[in-house]
Amino acid sequence: MVTRIAAAVGAALPLVFTNTPALAQWEGWFQWGTQGSYVHQFAHLLFLGAMLVFIWELYKGDLREWPGFRCIVWACWLLAWWNLDAIWGHALEWSLLNPVIMGQGFSRRLLMEDLHTWLFYLTKITHFVLLVPAFYLLYRGLRAMAAKIEAGRS
Amino acid sequence: MMTLPLFPLWLVESLSAILVLFLAFQVFQVTRRLMNQDPENALWLFFNWLATLLMIFACSHGVSHFVQEFLTFHGATPFLTHLRRAIGGLDSVLYVGLASIILFFHRVQRLYRRMEEDHHHLEKTSHEILALNREMEALVMERTMSEMALGIAHGIRNPLHIIGGFSHRLLKKTDKSDPTRAWLAAIAEEAKRIEQMVERFETLAQRKSSFFSQEDLNQIIRTTLELITPEIRLKKLNLVTDLTSTPLVGRLNPHLLKVAFAHLLRNAIEATRAKGTITVRTTMDGQFAVLTIKDTGKGMPPDVVERVFVPFFTTKLGGTGLGMVFVRQIVDEHRGIITLESKVGRGTTVTIRLPLRFAEAPGVSEPQPTPAAASNHGI
Repeated sequence: MVTRIAAAVGAALPLVFTNTPALAQWEGWFQWGTQGSYVHQFAHLLFLGAMLVFIWELYKGDLREWPGFRCIVWACWLLAWWNLDAIWGHALEWSLLNPVIMGQGFSRRLLMEDLHTWLFYLTKITHFVLLVPAFYLLYRGLRAMAAKIEAGRS
Repeated sequence: MMTLPLFPLWLVESLSAILVLFLAFQVFQVTRRLMNQDPENALWLFFNWLATLLMIFACSHGVSHFVQEFLTFHGATPFLTHLRRAIGGLDSVLYVGLASIILFFHRVQRLYRRMEEDHHHLEKTSHEILALNREMEALVMERTMSEMALGIAHGIRNPLHIIGGFSHRLLKKTDKSDPTRAWLAAIAEEAKRIEQMVERFETLAQRKSSFFSQEDLNQIIRTTLELITPEIRLKKLNLVTDLTSTPLVGRLNPHLLKVAFAHLLRNAIEATRAKGTITVRTTMDGQFAVLTIKDTGKGMPPDVVERVFVPFFTTKLGGTGLGMVFVRQIVDEHRGIITLESKVGRGTTVTIRLPLRFAEAPGVSEPQPTPAAASNHGI
């Protein structure tokens, strides 16, 4: 099985680096209408809901007194926002029909035809940018908790 | 028309993906540290699971977007398109997994809070039992000391009077020059010292009244019912009280009796279904005040009735099995008798007989008990 996958990857690599025409068809991850697209969106929605429940649980529980509590709560808010952004971003991406891409390789440019294309471009940036502070705050919050416990033990 | 480069998107996504992966690994490491500190802590376990899934998510999400951008810049191949879809599917599964862990944690937290509440309740009950036990021990010790003091007083005082009296009489009759006069004086003096000791023992016997005082049993029951009535109403039970019109005054400890009655009433409430009846009745039977607490509850089989007063025997989930033991001890300390009759499906009747032989009307000051009287009463 591993050999077959390796062979497939090996065969595909030359194709990956092959130059393609200047006005390429936009390769969307999914297009709206496939079952996978709905499953993915619902998964984001579920993740978003779970984050909100977790925030509520954090406030309700005994974690409020812990150092790092605020960082964890903020991390959860950012993750919730990220999910919202992802749902919106996916919807924009999957409904973007035949965007015009000019140039080749890393110098490719997207023709900003309308508001839809602008919003798509914006959500592509925020999609990943939100994740970094979320993970950083989660790390800081948990590290503060661990430091408190380790200080208590020593 | 304006065009924007796609390269910054790729740059932002790639850098962010690397940073997220690095931070996810750091989060995982911290949660592992927390787990190592306290492996049985549900919260750390949850964070560890969450961090594990977030790390997998950081990998798959990063790869997924990296592949997507590759397709954007270099065009699609069937393999990469399928790979991206597969990783997209994995991402969906991971989101569901993350949500499941968080929602499961929500349930675990609820259970944990319930466990903590139960723990606090048990701790509180344990403290109450400890306090009650201390009170009972003090009471028993006091009683023992009183009985000992009165026994010594009774046994020593009479011969001591004789020794003291005769030594004084001999002293008067003996000539001043007689050498035995000094011996007789020593005997009289020592007899007096023993007499003082006896008086101190008697004082101890009198202090017993701090635990038992002249109280009306009906009043103790009324006060207990005031406390318990909200619980009876909450369960929609009928309470029938039939107390004697005249006060049932005896040497009682109201605090301990309230604890005992409250326990019996709570047992009755617990055993009786809604719209059932709990009857509290007092009667006078010769020199005994009789209290009956009857319920129309589920009752108990004979083997349970036999073991009701056995320490640590309980049929309740989370019960200590000490409640009824204390009830009997409290009744015993009042020189009373407790009996229990029960029939499955019919209910349970608890009868307590308390002696009121030394009763006086309330408000009358207590006379100092004479050693002889105390001995006769068997205090």
